[in-house]
Amino acid sequence: MTGSTRQSRAGDRAEAPPRNTACYVYGILPEDVEISEDAIGVGDPPGRVKIIRHGEIAALVSDIDVDRPLGRASDLVAHEQLLDEAAAEVPVLPMRFGAVMTTPEAVVEELLAPHHDSFAAALKQIEGRTQFVLKARYAEQPVLVEVLTENAEARQLRDRIRQLPEDVTRNERIRLGELITQIIAAKREADTRAVVGRFEPFTAGAVVRDPSHERDAAHVAFLVENDRQADFERAVGELRSEWGNRVEVQMLGPMAPYDFVTT
Amino acid sequence: MTVAVPPAGGGGLPGRSSGSGLADVIDTILDKGLVIDAYVRVSLVGIEILTIDVRVVIASVDTYLRFAEAVNRLDLASQQPGLPGLLSSAPQSIARGKTKGVVQGVLEAAGEKLQDLREGYAAEEPAPRARRRRREED
Repeated sequence: MTGSTRQSRAGDRAEAPPRNTACYVYGILPEDVEISEDAIGVGDPPGRVKIIRHGEIAALVSDIDVDRPLGRASDLVAHEQLLDEAAAEVPVLPMRFGAVMTTPEAVVEELLAPHHDSFAAALKQIEGRTQFVLKARYAEQPVLVEVLTENAEARQLRDRIRQLPEDVTRNERIRLGELITQIIAAKREADTRAVVGRFEPFTAGAVVRDPSHERDAAHVAFLVENDRQADFERAVGELRSEWGNRVEVQMLGPMAPYDFVTT
Repeated sequence: MTVAVPPAGGGGLPGRSSGSGLADVIDTILDKGLVIDAYVRVSLVGIEILTIDVRVVIASVDTYLRFAEAVNRLDLASQQPGLPGLLSSAPQSIARGKTKGVVQGVLEAAGEKLQDLREGYAAEEPAPRARRRRREED
């Protein structure tokens, strides 16, 4: 625990930070951005969030104690919350969690300066757009009823499992579960395609994410222009009421365009 | 965290159905976003990262047995009629023949393991916002 040493060195803060701290990088923003004093960063206690500017771009950073492991719940939430709050106001290129460089000078010399033009161009591209993530999940009972209704083999397995003692039907139960998983995967493919197509008129881009659950119906990140956001949200509401009890629809966002920045 | 669209009145499942939980945060910030390593190789600092990647579990026998068990429970629960409504909302086209050889079901192990953490964690800190210094419009 060395956090208190920082206070005593306030005098030379502008120079090198204490040896055991480094520079956590959250993301890249336009140069003309300001961050409020009370922004909360990663670490415990959280380091003050600062902006390092270079040309037209800037990096959102905070000091971090390199001796303390990263990745507690509060660190993860702080990273995303800071970027998402920023993304609601200004264009942001989000870094993946855990990007740490030695010093603010290194951030300028090795990150901002060499990649200035491509970062600046990317920021212009995402100006006025944010990301939303649609997570849809089949409700268990309705989807199982669908599967049984549509698939004769599943019904036969179900009947056989019901007629025989549990200890002799392990293979049947595994086969039934496998069949259900496959049929749900096929439904997911179809529903994901339908969702992407349905939102296409309101969105500037879509990235299909890996499913996060075996009953996922769709898991898609959308890039949405700010002035289409109302249309987009209305379409989500329509989808939700159309699917009714069959599928639970969750919408996350607005957030920084994590799925649309590529290295 | 931020939720743009609250769940419709009777539309969703009972229980908490919206809001960005820790599992969602992990989905997003651990394998999405720019990777600094691709841009910088000299001044990178290695810090021990605690988070274990516990997602991406290929559908397993456990998953299968769970589904089979759910079907058994379903038998008891669905003696009464009530299926037609569900059936009419089934998707028009089900690509039966296109099922991939590798099953892509994924467990939400991260979500389950981290449930306690999420519940114990108050994510309601007032987070500040970044603002443009110059405001040309308006």
